[in-house]
Amino acid sequence: MTTFLQALVNTIMLGGFYALMVMGFSLIWGVMGVINLAHGEFVVMGAYLTWFLNRHAGWEPFATIIVVLPVMFAFGYLLQRLLINRIVDRPPLVSLLVTYGLSILIANSLKLAFTGTPRTVTTSLGGFWRVAEVTIPSVKTFDLILALAMMATLSLLLRRTRLGKAIRAAAQNRRAARMVGVEIGSVFAVTFGIGIALTGTAGILFSLTQPVAPFVGLPLTLRAFAITTMSGLGNIGGALLGSMALAAVEVYIGTYVPRVGTNLGLVATFVVLVVILITRPQGLFGGLPSAEQQ
Amino acid sequence: MRTCTEATRGQWIAGARRVGLAVLLAGLVLLPLVAERGGREGMINNSTLFSLTQMLMLVTLASNWNFISGLTGYIDFGHVAFFGLGAYSTGILMSKAGWPFFPTLAVGAVSAAVAAVLIGRATMHLKGPYFSIAMLGSFAALREMARVTTPLTGGGPGLTLPPYLNRPLFYYLALGQAVLVVALYRWLKGTEFGLMMLGIREDEPGAEMRGVNTTFVKTAAFGLAAMSSGIVGGMWAYQNTFIDPDIVFLDSRTIEIAIASVLGGLGTIAGPVIGAGLLYWLRDVVWANFLEWHLIVEGLLLIAMVLLLPNGIMGLLGDRSGLDVRQAWARWFRR
Repeated sequence: MTTFLQALVNTIMLGGFYALMVMGFSLIWGVMGVINLAHGEFVVMGAYLTWFLNRHAGWEPFATIIVVLPVMFAFGYLLQRLLINRIVDRPPLVSLLVTYGLSILIANSLKLAFTGTPRTVTTSLGGFWRVAEVTIPSVKTFDLILALAMMATLSLLLRRTRLGKAIRAAAQNRRAARMVGVEIGSVFAVTFGIGIALTGTAGILFSLTQPVAPFVGLPLTLRAFAITTMSGLGNIGGALLGSMALAAVEVYIGTYVPRVGTNLGLVATFVVLVVILITRPQGLFGGLPSAEQQ
Repeated sequence: MRTCTEATRGQWIAGARRVGLAVLLAGLVLLPLVAERGGREGMINNSTLFSLTQMLMLVTLASNWNFISGLTGYIDFGHVAFFGLGAYSTGILMSKAGWPFFPTLAVGAVSAAVAAVLIGRATMHLKGPYFSIAMLGSFAALREMARVTTPLTGGGPGLTLPPYLNRPLFYYLALGQAVLVVALYRWLKGTEFGLMMLGIREDEPGAEMRGVNTTFVKTAAFGLAAMSSGIVGGMWAYQNTFIDPDIVFLDSRTIEIAIASVLGGLGTIAGPVIGAGLLYWLRDVVWANFLEWHLIVEGLLLIAMVLLLPNGIMGLLGDRSGLDVRQAWARWFRR
């Protein structure tokens, strides 16, 4: 029973990270129809930024958010202006190949800059609480709180502000949005910036729970894709549920299968992904536009 | 009169092309004879021969990939999985069971084909990007499988095969396979089977309505290409004498294959051959000086090519039978 409860706690912690990670992916896909295969690399970029400030300036990892957010936003904004804008109106194969090229580019640049050695951050917020035999690590709890706060902010931004309205309009019907005066180009650039900034923040959480290395991005991208297909595009509540579901699959396999469980968790992710794609092409909770509609 | 001269001109070009191809082939066959061997000086050195072997393997892999992705329009980001199965079949059977080399190639080919049929049955129902990502997922899943089944695959530390440094043998094997595979695909493209594949690419529901058994055609093509990639994997493993999950299931191998095909011209038969040749020439001549940057340059190259040269070199040369990468999925996204 304790093992089961412990796994449940771990699931919620991991699910929180996945949920934050998937926001940016789902936002970018939903608004401009670009499936960003470099997504995991942006998580890693954020994680390296945190590690760099932590190691060389002695910053508390959570505090690096004040640097990570604007830097990643600016990076995403520029990238959209310079590159992604050219592929938005093209069929997705172009965006897949281009973002795949981008992912190789970023991963290898990171390797060149930081070498392949796995890096870990140090934090003063370590430690854990014990509740009835179940360990609750404090860092992961703060991770979860940060993730939920970021998601709430995004949700408010999309629903309560003029910018959010423009983003949703651009997602629903590009041409009509343009007609009523939404400047699609800048809305896309800002959306991409926000998506990458959120993804970079997920990198902070990543650096606090795992060693950071240049080539850990691809599995993250695949998980983001799996969760998005499960939960539907731009559906924040659904994304949270989907993330928890995927995290549960991984954690419970990792807990109950001895030794190789952690690696099998990743395999299970893809089995889940393929099964869902085949049985429920519209996503588990609806909301994912079928390919023809997009 | 004018048509007559044009016809003669066409014949002349076709003849010149045939002669050129024959000269090229003869040159490739004779090449190892002038290579250095056992201390004897040669016109080309061993590393050139090695690099040519790698190039010929890339020609085969890119042709296989192009057969699936270029002809049926199913863009496959997980094809390297079948290469990996071949590599592991040879690796496991030679190092753990002491088999000789050639039978292991057959086992690799069969296991890759069986895996392709099983995976393909599931994933080929998916459309456009969903198929691509599901294949990328299958590829990553297989890599993890290779990592965890330590008793069989040696896990993360990998497997060491009995060393065998006969460069000309690998060269001839790779050359023979490349020639066979390209000739086979060229022939198949003109047969009814090839036309059915093109039909699937252009209009799958339409092809189905006209009585094409699309599931069978897709799965058969998928299995055939995977089988050939499995053989390449086996040869690569023996030549490299060492395999582990990360060097076999290498992400950048997928990108290399895709670059070779897109550069040459997706959906054309000569495209992957030209693309692979060019890629290797670029690597040797241009990137030899900045080794660490070469994957960065490759990533940039893929981006640039998709944006600037969507029909590839064959498209530039006027071959219109290929697939414009910009249109590959257009049908799934039409309103």
